[in-house]
Amino acid sequence: MNATLNVSSSPHVRDRWTTPFIMMVVSLALLPAAAVGVYAYGIRALWIILAAVLSCVLTEFVFDKIAHKPDTWKDGSAVVTGLVLALTLSPSVPIFIPILGGIFAIFVVKCCFGGLGKNFMNPALAARCFLLISFGKAMTTFEVDGVSSATPMAALKAGKAVNITEMFLGTSNGIIGSSVLALLCGGLVLWALDIIHGQICFSILISFSLFMLLFGGQGFDLKFLAAQLCGGGVVSGAFFMATDYTTSPVSRLGQTVYGIVIGLWGGIFRVFGSSADSFSYAIILGNLLTPLIDLYIVPKPRAYRKNALVGFSEKEKKPFYKRIPKPVVALTIITLLAGIALSGVYTLTKDSIEEQKQAAKAKAYLSVCPDADHFVKLESADAAIEALGGGVYGTSFGKAYINEAFVAMDENGKVVGYAVSVTSGDGNDGDITLALGVSPDGTINGISFTKLTETPGLGMLADTDAFKGQFAGKNVSEFTLVKGGASGDDEIDSLSGATVTSSAVVNAVNAGLDFINTYMREGGTQ
Amino acid sequence: MKKTFFGGVHPDDAKALSRDAKLTRFLPKGEMVYPLSQHIGKPARAVVKKGDSVLAGQVIGEADGFVSANVICSCSGKVKAVEKRRSISGALLECVVVENDGQFTSLDADRYCKRRDTSKFTKDDILSAVKAAGIVGLGGAGFPTHVKLGPKNPDAIRYIIANGAECEPYLTGNDHLMREEANAIVEGMQLLVGMFPNATGVICIEENKPEAISAMQKAAAGKKDIEVLPLHTKYPQGGERSLIQAVAGVDFPVTSLPADVGCIVQNVGTVYAIQRAVCFGEPLFTHVLTVTGEGVECPMNLIVPDGTSVAEIIEFAGGFKGGKEPKKVLAGGPMMGFAMSSVDVPVVKTTNGITILANDPAEIAERQMTACLRCGRCTTVCPQGLMPQMMAEAWEAGNEERYEKKLYGLECIQCGSCAYICPAKRPLTQVFKQAKAEIMAKKRAQAAGGKK
Repeated sequence: MNATLNVSSSPHVRDRWTTPFIMMVVSLALLPAAAVGVYAYGIRALWIILAAVLSCVLTEFVFDKIAHKPDTWKDGSAVVTGLVLALTLSPSVPIFIPILGGIFAIFVVKCCFGGLGKNFMNPALAARCFLLISFGKAMTTFEVDGVSSATPMAALKAGKAVNITEMFLGTSNGIIGSSVLALLCGGLVLWALDIIHGQICFSILISFSLFMLLFGGQGFDLKFLAAQLCGGGVVSGAFFMATDYTTSPVSRLGQTVYGIVIGLWGGIFRVFGSSADSFSYAIILGNLLTPLIDLYIVPKPRAYRKNALVGFSEKEKKPFYKRIPKPVVALTIITLLAGIALSGVYTLTKDSIEEQKQAAKAKAYLSVCPDADHFVKLESADAAIEALGGGVYGTSFGKAYINEAFVAMDENGKVVGYAVSVTSGDGNDGDITLALGVSPDGTINGISFTKLTETPGLGMLADTDAFKGQFAGKNVSEFTLVKGGASGDDEIDSLSGATVTSSAVVNAVNAGLDFINTYMREGGTQ
Repeated sequence: MKKTFFGGVHPDDAKALSRDAKLTRFLPKGEMVYPLSQHIGKPARAVVKKGDSVLAGQVIGEADGFVSANVICSCSGKVKAVEKRRSISGALLECVVVENDGQFTSLDADRYCKRRDTSKFTKDDILSAVKAAGIVGLGGAGFPTHVKLGPKNPDAIRYIIANGAECEPYLTGNDHLMREEANAIVEGMQLLVGMFPNATGVICIEENKPEAISAMQKAAAGKKDIEVLPLHTKYPQGGERSLIQAVAGVDFPVTSLPADVGCIVQNVGTVYAIQRAVCFGEPLFTHVLTVTGEGVECPMNLIVPDGTSVAEIIEFAGGFKGGKEPKKVLAGGPMMGFAMSSVDVPVVKTTNGITILANDPAEIAERQMTACLRCGRCTTVCPQGLMPQMMAEAWEAGNEERYEKKLYGLECIQCGSCAYICPAKRPLTQVFKQAKAEIMAKKRAQAAGGKK
C-alpha cells in the first residue's frame, strides 16, 4: 500500500495564484480602457482589438506547434500583449496593422528570444515602434468618419490648446486606449492587488512630472502638467507597459531606478525631441537597461544591510550621499547623458534648421515673383487663413492647406505679384509644400518647392523644369492633370510613374490659385 | 500593529481541522523503534543489546560526545534487535528495536509525578538534568538543548524566547500544550531565565491562537521577567530568525548563532520538556504530535511515546479518510515537513506532526508550471531579504560564483516561502536545497583535500 505515496521536497502547499490567473487579471484591468475606446470610436475599435489579440494568440499557437514547444499560448500572456498593442493603435488604422503588429510582437520579439520571461523588450511596445517606423502615416493619422485631425499630443507639440477633460475621459482624438480615467482605474487595481509594482509606476509618474515642471518651459503650470500626463501614453505606459514583469528589474531598488530613468527619458524626449510618441521609446530604452540593472543592483540579504545591527554594535552613520549605491549614481548619470545627447542634437541644430528654412522660403518666394523688392501681408488674406485654422482649403483640392500669403511689391510700393505657400497632404511620401507666384494680371510666374520628399527618380522629378515649367506663363483658373501629353493651356502632363505626386502638386497649385483669386487679386481671372 | 518580521506568506493555515481536539495520551501496542540519531550531531551509542529488559525512561542510547543527545526508551519490554531500520526521513539508521509489553512500566517508582525541590538548583544542575533527559529542540531541527543553553558568554544573553508561534499550517499541538500546560511552560521559562543574569523571557504566540495567548498571559501574570508577546500571523513567524527579528529587531547571517546576538530560542515543547526534566526528573520520551490533514478520519492532538509507528498513530486517528489511500503523508507540516515514502516508520523526538494530504498540491503545481515571469513575488516574501529569482537563474546558468558571493545563496533558510508564492510554480526552494548541498559537499571535499 505504501508504494503509492508521493515523495517530494517541501513546501508541499502552493499559493492559488498561477501565471494564467495573473494574466487574466491584467487583461480584465485593461478591459475598461478597451470598452471606453469602443464606446468613443465605434465598432471599428473592437475589430482592431480582436484582430490584435487573435493575431497574438494564433502566432504563439503556431510557433508552439512548429517549434514543438509546450502549449505556452494557453498561459494568457499573448492576450495581454494583444490588448496592450491594440490600445496603443489609432482606431482608424487599416486592419492589417494590428494583425502584423501581433505577429511581430509574438514571433520576433517574444518567441524568437525564448518566449515568456525571456524577451528583452516589451513585445507590444516593440511592435508599436515597429509599426510606427514602417507605417508612419497610417499610424499617426487619426480619422473618424472621414474627417482627420491632429491627435492631442501632436497639437500640444505644435503649441495648440487641448481639452484636458476630453483627454482624461478618452473621448478626444487619439489611440483606442486613450482614456486616462479607465487606464488609471485598471492600473490602480493591479497595484492594489500587488500585481504591478508601485516602485515602477509611481517613480515614472513622479520623475516625469518633476522633469516637466522644471524643464517643460511652462513653469509651475498644473494645467500644462495635467495635459502632459494625460496624453502620449504616459499613464498606460507607466501602469501597463513599463511594469511588464519580464522587461523590468526584479529588485525594488532596481525597479525604482528603472522607473526614474524612464520618467526622465520620457521628459527629455517630450521636451527636446520631435516625436509625439516619445514615451514608447523611453520605455523601450528602459527595457534595454533592465539586464544591466539586474546585474548590478542586487540588494544584500537583510543580515548584511547597514541597519541589521549584527551583535548590537552601533553602526556609524554615513552621510546620505555615501549611502546611495554607486550603480544608482552611475546609471543616473548615464541616463542623463544619453538622453541629453539624443535630444541635444536636435536642439543644437534647431535654430540653424529654422534659419535655413526661412532663407529657403524667401528664396522660393523671390523665384516665383522675380520683380519683387519686398513682400507684405494682406489683412484680408491673413484673416482668411486664420479662419481656416490649419484646416483643409476647400474640398475639391484634396488635402491642401494654405500656409501663408504675401503681396509682392517693388521699390515704389507698386504691386508686382502675389505669392502663396501651399501644402498638399496627399504626397506619396509625406507633405509637399510649394510656393506659387502669380503676376497682377493672373499669369502664373512659376512654382518652387520648399518641401518635397517623394520617391527619387519618380516623384522627385516634379522638381524639374520639364514639369514645373508647365505652369509658368499660363493664365487659367484651374489646371487639370492628364496623361500622355497636354493639349490645352489648362492641362498638365503627369509625371510618368508618379501620378500621386503630380496630382498632389496640381491640387496644391489649384488651391493656391483659388486662394489668390478669391482673397487677393482684385477682379479675378476673367 | 503587532510585531513581526519582514516578508513572509499567508498560507491557508487549515488549523480548524484539529484546533478543538484536546491533548490525548496515546499508548501504542506494537513494537517500538528508537533511531540512535534523532538529533543534530553525533549519533548516540547503544547501551543495550538484544534480549535486555528495558523500562520506560531508561537510557538506551548514550550521548556520544558534546553535540549529541541521549536516546530514551518510552515503553517497557525486551530489546528485540539493534539494527538498521528505515527512519522517518527515509534514511537507514541504526535503531534499537523493543518488543513492547504494553505495560509501560516506568523506571521511576512514582512514574515521574513526584515534584523535586528545585529551589537550590544551580545552573549546572539544570544543564545536567537537561542533558540526562536527552532533550533536543522540538521545533524540528533537533539541536541538543544542553549545547544551546551553554553559550560562550552567558552575560550577553538578553532574550530567552519561547517559540509558541506554530506558524506551520495544520499543526495545533503546541497550541494545545500552551492551553493545557501554561503554568509548566512559564515555570520552565523561569528556570531558563534564571540561568542568565541579563535575560528576560518572551513567549511568542501568533495571534491566531487567542486561547493559548490568554492561558499563557494568565500563567505569566505577575512574573516580572516573563512577557507574553502576541505576533502577527504569518509564515515563517516561528522561524528562529523571524522571531529574533520581531523580538530584538536584529538580523544576522546564517554563519552566526542566535546566541551571538544575545538570543536563545526554545520551542514551547522544549521548554515544557525542560520543566519536566528539572522539576520531575522525567526524561524526554513522549512529546506532543498533531495528526491531521484532509486525508485522515479524525484529526487529533496526541501525546505519543517516541518510537511509535506512524501507521499505528494513523490507525488510532481512525485511519485514512474513507479508507482511501492519501496522496502524501508528511512528517511535520506542509511548508517544511518532509514526505514519507512509507508509514511503517517510527516517530522521533522532533516529529511534531503527521499531515495526511488527500491531494498533493505539489503534484498539481508541477502540471501548472510555466516559465519564470520575473514577477518578483519571491523577492518580496523572502524573510532573509534574498533574491530567489536571481538565485535560481544564476544557479541554473551554472554561475556558482554569483550565486554564492553576490546573491548570498547560502543565507537561504529553506522556509519554502518563495516556492509557495511563485505563480509560475517554479521549484525554487528545492533548487536552493540542492545548491546548498552541492556547494557544501564541494567545500568539504576541498577542506579534506587541503588536509592531505
